[in-house]
Order: sequence, then structure tokens, then C-alpha cells
Amino acid sequence: TEWNVSLWGKRRAFTEHVEKLAELVSEKTDGAFTMNISYGGLSSNRENLDGISIGAFEMAQFCAGYHADKNPSITVMELPFLGVSTLEQERDISMAVYKHPAVAGDLARWNATLLMPSPLPQYNLVGLGDAPSSLADFEGLTVRATGGIGAAMETVGAVPTSMSATEVRQAMDSGVIKSASFAPHAHMSFGTIENATWWTTNLNPGTVNCPVVVNTDALDDLTDDERAALLGSVDEALDHYIDYYNNQTMAAWGPALDERGITRVTFPPEEIEAFKKAAAEPAAKAWIDANTARGLPAQELFDLVTGMVADGS
Amino acid sequence: MDSIEIGLVVTGGLLVFVILGMRVAFAAGLAGMIGLIWIFWARKGYAPDDFGWALTVAVKTAGQVPHSKVSSQALSLIPTFILIGYLAYYAGLTRALFEAAKRWLAWVPGGLAVSTVFATAGFAAVSGASVATSAVFARIAIPEMLAIGYDKRFAAGVVAAGGTLASLIPPSAILVIYAIIVEQDVGKLLLAGFIPGMFSAVIYAMLIVGMALTIKGFGPPVRGFTWGQRFAALPAALPIVFVVITIIFFVYNPFGGDAWGTPTEGGAIGAFVVFLMAMYRGMRWPQLRDALLETAKLSTMIFTIIWGVLIYVRFLGFADLPGAFADWITSLTMSPMLILVCILLAYAVLGMFMDAIGMLLLTLPVVYPAVMALNGGPLVAAEDAAFGMSGPMCAIWFGILVVKMAEFCLITPPIGLNCFVVAGVRDDLSVQDVFRGVTPFFIADAITIGLLVAFPAIVLWLPSQV
Amino acid sequence: MAGGSQVLTDDSLVSRLDRGLLKLETLLALLSGLAVFALMMLAVVSVGGRNFMGQPLPGYVDWIEQAMPLIAFMGIAYAQRNGGHIRMDLVVGVLKGRALYLAEFVTTFAILLLVVLMIWGSWAHFDRSFDPAMPMWSRDSSMDIGIPIWPAKLLVPVALSVLAARLILQLWAYVQAISTGAETPVAVPLVLDAATVAAMEASHVTDPTEETRKGAR
Ligand code: NA
Ligand code: NA
Repeated sequence: TEWNVSLWGKRRAFTEHVEKLAELVSEKTDGAFTMNISYGGLSSNRENLDGISIGAFEMAQFCAGYHADKNPSITVMELPFLGVSTLEQERDISMAVYKHPAVAGDLARWNATLLMPSPLPQYNLVGLGDAPSSLADFEGLTVRATGGIGAAMETVGAVPTSMSATEVRQAMDSGVIKSASFAPHAHMSFGTIENATWWTTNLNPGTVNCPVVVNTDALDDLTDDERAALLGSVDEALDHYIDYYNNQTMAAWGPALDERGITRVTFPPEEIEAFKKAAAEPAAKAWIDANTARGLPAQELFDLVTGMVADGS
Repeated sequence: MDSIEIGLVVTGGLLVFVILGMRVAFAAGLAGMIGLIWIFWARKGYAPDDFGWALTVAVKTAGQVPHSKVSSQALSLIPTFILIGYLAYYAGLTRALFEAAKRWLAWVPGGLAVSTVFATAGFAAVSGASVATSAVFARIAIPEMLAIGYDKRFAAGVVAAGGTLASLIPPSAILVIYAIIVEQDVGKLLLAGFIPGMFSAVIYAMLIVGMALTIKGFGPPVRGFTWGQRFAALPAALPIVFVVITIIFFVYNPFGGDAWGTPTEGGAIGAFVVFLMAMYRGMRWPQLRDALLETAKLSTMIFTIIWGVLIYVRFLGFADLPGAFADWITSLTMSPMLILVCILLAYAVLGMFMDAIGMLLLTLPVVYPAVMALNGGPLVAAEDAAFGMSGPMCAIWFGILVVKMAEFCLITPPIGLNCFVVAGVRDDLSVQDVFRGVTPFFIADAITIGLLVAFPAIVLWLPSQV
Repeated sequence: MAGGSQVLTDDSLVSRLDRGLLKLETLLALLSGLAVFALMMLAVVSVGGRNFMGQPLPGYVDWIEQAMPLIAFMGIAYAQRNGGHIRMDLVVGVLKGRALYLAEFVTTFAILLLVVLMIWGSWAHFDRSFDPAMPMWSRDSSMDIGIPIWPAKLLVPVALSVLAARLILQLWAYVQAISTGAETPVAVPLVLDAATVAAMEASHVTDPTEETRKGAR
């Protein structure tokens, strides 16, 4: 069996688990089951779920926030201030959410089966000019932040602006925005740190959830050995991914900040608590209301996530 | 057949469609559609029962492309740039520019021709399209040149060649298209076109002065304008300066402070300034309606090619042809520079028969990855690269080279569109006359392209400042 | 190679239908032009809002993305009617009479085939984003402010359907030309030599200052 896999961009930390999975599956089946990974050749990233639904390719990665209405159930993982603190925790909670029948049903509308997450650390802000010393300094700060994070920033008086990720560097250099929110690897690859002066270490307003899915029919068509090889390799692929992110990407992050003399801004816990109070609860309530209206067990999903965070799993 | 062979057969079929005169956009779309059906059916071993499945998957895959690819913020620059050009006519900017250029520059040998070149360069700063630029200046500049005894063929050649500057000097629809296909920063590419565009204009001007000095009775200088007259000609041309400054400031602030926005916004603000100017000059709904309809027609034409070709490109992705071509190019034993020169020559030949936008859209998906691979890959550092520049810089440099080639093709026989336009405007000129008159500019363009290849800094200095 | 082309008219049924359809096509093309104009105004509002009111337009990118299909697709039949989609006429340029119109029939039919398949495919694309059971009937939303995308996706099959009607009309006109052996049939863009095309293109840019001055008087 040969599967086509649709990713985008180029090979990077964010795609290491897929690369590893392909390697493991081919090894375990002695080359009987191979994956042909394409970076952008088969689809654009916002159409990957459509491609899975059509059956144009068998596996793909996408981010829930690209199109909330396509996958409302998993956007629970993108709510601000959930309190997830490690990649391992992000992975475990994502997997638990993916196994929930309502979530599986949501993705089944696309003939898709959720395979694994691409855990990303919490977003934080990189910015130009004087470093903020308290949340009050965010008043009037222009920031590139989309969706839930943008809404959260608005609650402390910041001015969120939307633009595509590729325009962010230029918008910062030209002063259209003073700051941008991304995960560290994206701050590095989109060059937002090049001229930046500060970075928030613990704002942690949230992150994006980017699952890897497979076409359900293709999964069913696999031989038992092939399916076992695929599903049995997910854990090892994720271990490799997290190890790579923690030990390669995050290892480069600190020095990258130091090289450029970027100030690390850490807010006192009571400030973060106040921010969380102002932003998290209204966002969660709005999400639950909107998705209950869609017929999802929204409260239950939200409780599942917050419960696991509280348990510290 | 393996997928690469399918890719080659379908590509051959596409060329046949195009040569037979099928509209390029649809020929590419159909080739892509047939290719997708073929490649999906091949995956099922051509089982008759599976043809329906292959057809459905192919149709639905292709069916995503138009909406998905066209809904892009970067592409929104194209219609705005086209609209600026049409509004500029109604704002009376063309005649104002020529008048100002004449009063300031016509005193040099071959003065009126030199003035024409710089007036077209100035108009290029508001116009995104070459052909339109040649058409306007054929009406304004040729009569004046003929009146003081220029050879009519040469006068026509100046206008045809000057028009090509519009696609290098920003705004430029074709540079935006290149940036989109190769997924590079639109702002940097637009900025990169500025110096090569002015550089081309200077080479044209030097050629004209040289001819005026060596050929007897060639284009006498025009003297006698007072400084008062010179300055009096400036206000009418000022909106151009304003638009140029706006667009530059929206990409990059030369004074180091905050720029005013993104290129997308800059294009739109530029159009708005010209719009106000045109309103002031008496443009009303009938003229605006014409400008909007012409903008719509040209934009639709370009977008239809874009999505048609991208269906074909989607098929190429499934066939992995670009990867195979890049592997082949990098496996050649020739020097990378020689291969690059061969590629540029191939563009010169292809461009003799094809439209510039269609040519770029059809070839770049395969040629661009190969050129990047030749340089050492998209992320290569300057010190390890074959052409001595980093991956992103190579993308910009190659883009300017390719666009310059595409513009060169607008003045070469047998289908140099700019020459046809000039001949069409002037009843007393045949197409052959214009092609004869434009021949000296081939030499100027060859020199320009040679210098851009030999000294990439001409292209890369400005974008590397940002 | 390029742009403009000439379409003859008379009192025949096919020509009357041609002009009727042209009215619709012109309206749609004008809609496309107005969308470009709106895009320009949107940028003015966005930049103005950001610089003078400290408040950028929310979802600016989302709105641009919604406007692009209007610009890109609405004029597609208008361009086909006027021969505005570019092609190489090296071969068709030397053909004449029946041979020419047979060739035109074949390539136009091939376009119709593609367009019919694309109507199917783009409708399916719309259909995947549309769900009457959901709020705002939406199963696909934009990235920043979450507006439904199905209206923009629906524009593609709509515009292509008008194009299909135009192609069928052109095929009919070509059949008539082949059967009567007419040299210059009605209702189809005539193949003109490049010089004539260029002259027509140039006529779009007749000296604007003169024109507007006249208009102002
Ligand atoms: Na230009
Ligand atoms: Na040519």
C-alpha cells in the first residue's frame, strides 16, 4: 500500500512526527506500506480536510483554527488560558479529546479519523519598543493575534490585527504592528524575533491544535498488519516529535533570544490571574454556548479538558 | 506508466492544446483535469469499475482550486494595480509626464527619445501593464518626435521598448504573480524591480544618446526651455511622485521610522489617490464604469489563467514532476551558471510565441524549483550557494531576470505585442517598421540582462536593505 | 495573442440571444469591477482606522478573501464573449472559413467539457462548506473573525454556469457558420490578425485628457 500524505511548508519540528511515522511504518511492514509525504503539492493547508473527505490523499495535517466551522469540536483545545503547561500534557489531553465520540463524529463528517496531535507550546508575544512591565502597558498595543488569542488580548486593551503569517515580519518591521503572538518555532521561522526587543515568557494565552488525520475508508482498507503497524507507531512518533521540539527547537530558542539581546518579560502571578479572569471565562462561555447550539456536548468537552488540566495529567 | 511519464504525456498534450489555439487558461485546466483523472485511475490499476471513482476524486480535487487559490490577500494586489493604470489615463497623468520629461531632459542628444523613455518609466510607477503604456505613449510621443525629424521606425521603437519598463518598476502585476507562484515576499519583489527598471531605462537612454552622437541627423536636441517653464510642468506630474512615495512608504520607510502599511494597502491607497485626481480632472460615472469594466475584464483574464494553470500544477504535484525535473537539472554536469543562461535563452525562444503571464505560469512550477535546487536549495546560505546568494535572494534575483525576459519578449518578433500595439495606434507604421525600429533596444536589453546576471547586487541591494 | 475581439450582430435568433446574455454578462463584470473599487475603499478605511483612530478594521484579511472570488470569477463569461481570454493564434490565424470554425468548434467544445466538470467540482466544494442544520448554514468559516465561506464558494459554480451558457451559444453559432460556410459569422469573437487586435486594444486608451476635457465641458 502506498499512501499520499499532504503537509505544507517545509520539513520542520512541526512535521517530525509524520516523517517518523512514515519511517516506522515502512520498517515494520518491510516496505509493504509506504507513505509519500508532500509539502504543499497535493493541497493547500486550509483544504487538507476537504482532500481527506474527497479521498484525494490518505493522510493530512491541519490546524483547527484555520476553519473553526469545519471542526468545531477540537477548537476547545484552542480556548485561551486552559492552563496547559507542557507538550506532554498537550498531547495527552488532545488524545483524550480525539477519542471522545462527539469529536470522532465531528470529524467523521469529513470521512476523517483523528490519528494524533502536533503538540505546540503556549503562544507568547514578541514585540518591538519598550518592554511592557505590567498588563496595563498592553493598552493600545498593536498585536498580530487571531481568533481566541486575539479576543483575549483585546480584554487587556491591546489592538489585535489580522494578517497572514507571511506578512507578519514585514508588518512588524514597518510598524504596522508592534507585537505578534506565535509559538517559538514560528517566531523563529517567520523572523519576528529579528528586530524584536522583548518576549513574554509566561503570558501563555493559548495555542493552536493541529491534528494529523487519516481517511477512514483508507484506514479500513489496510491489511490488519498494516493497520497495526500504523496505529502501533503513533506513540513512538509522538515521543520523537516531543523530544525533537524540546531538545532541538526549544534549545535553539534561548540562545536565539540572547543573541539578539531580547528582554524576557515575566509577569507576576497575580497579573496573569487577573488577565485569565478577564479573558478566559467569557471566551469559554461563548464557546460553550455557540457549540451547544451546533448540537455538540460542549460543556462536557470543556469539562474533560479542564478536568485533565486540574488533575495535572 | 509511472506518474512521471503520465506527467510528461499530459504536459505534451497541454502544449498541443495551446498551439491549436485553445484559450491558455482552459487548456491548462483541461490538461490538469485529464491528468488528475489519469493518475487516480492508474492508482487503481485502470480497473473499469474504478473509473467513476477516479473521475469523481479528480473533479472534486480540481473543483477546490479556483476558490481556494484565488481567495488570497496577496493576489488582491493585481486588480488594484490594474485599476491604478486605467484611472491614471483619466487623471491626465500621461501627457503631464511627457511634458515634464521633455522640458527637463530634451536638451541632450536624442533628447525627445530620452524624454520618452523616462516618461514611460514615470508612467510605469502608476501602471502595472506594459501594453497599455506603449499604447498611450504612441499617441503622445511619436508625433512630437516625427515633427522634429526622427526616423519614424525608431520613434515607434522607443515607445514599444519604453512600455516594457512598466512590468519591472512597481506596481507590476506580473511581479505579484511571480511572487505568488514561488511563495516569496511580494513587497521585496516589488522593491527589487525598482532599480533594474530604472537601470533598464538608463541603458535605453545611453543607447539613444550614443546613436544620436554617432548617426548624422539623428534626433536633434530640443533646447530653450526656461527654468520657469521646467518648474511649471512639474505640478501636473506630481501625483505620480505622490503615488510612488506612497507605495514605497507602504513597503519600507527609507527614513528608518514606521512604514505606513503593507504592500496590499499601499497599492490600494495609490489607486485611491489617482482616483481622486481623476475625479478632480472631470472623470464621471461613464468613464469610471469603463475603467471598472476594463479592470474586471483584464483581472478575470489573469485570474482564469491562474486557477486554470494551478489545476495543472495540482496534477503536477500528484505526478511529482517538478521534483523529478529538479533532480534532473541538478544531475547535469554543466556549470550552474551555464544552465541558468540556457534557461533564460529558452525563455527568450518561448516568449517569441507566448504571452508573458501565461508563459510564467506554465513554466515556473517546474523551472523555479530546479533553479532553486541548482543554487543549493531554498534555504541555502550565501556562502554555500552556487550563485553566491541565499535561497530567498536567489528567488528574487531569478524573478527579476525572468520578468525582464518576459518583457523582452514583448518587443521581439514574431509576436511582440507592444510592437503590434504601437503599429495599431499609428496608421503610418507597419508592424515590420516597428520591429525594425525596436531592434537597437534588443542590444540594450541583452546588455541589461547580462549585467543583471553578472552583478546580482543591482537587483538585490534594495531588497536586502529591508 | 491578446485581449479584444470583434463580435458581429444581426437579427437572427442566435445573435439576439447573444446580446441578451451579454447584458447579464456585462452586469456581472461590472459587479467584479465594483468589487475592485470596494477593495480599494476597504484599504483606505483600514489604514485610516489604524492610523487615525487606533482601531484597525476587524477581519480586514477575511473580508479581502471574501471579495476576491467576486473579482476573479464574475467577469469570466464576459471575457469569453469578447474573446478576452488569451490564446496563441498562430494556427487559427492562418485558417479560414469552414476549417477555422471547425477548429473553433473543437476547442470551444473542449472548454465546455472542462467547464461542466468544474461546475460539478466547484459545486461539491461549496456543498462541503454548506450545512442548513448549522448556525449561518456554515460548515467552513474564515480564519480570523469566523465568517461563513459558503457564499464565496457558491460564486464559482454560478459564474461557471453563465460561462457554460455562453459556450453553448458559441458552439451553436459555430455550427451555423460551418453549415452555411459563412466567413464572418455572428455571435462569436472573430479571429482578427494581431495588428487589428492591437488597434482595438489601443482604442481603449484614447487620449484621456482630451476625452475628459470634452466630458467636463
Ligand atoms: Na509598473
Ligand atoms: Na515576442
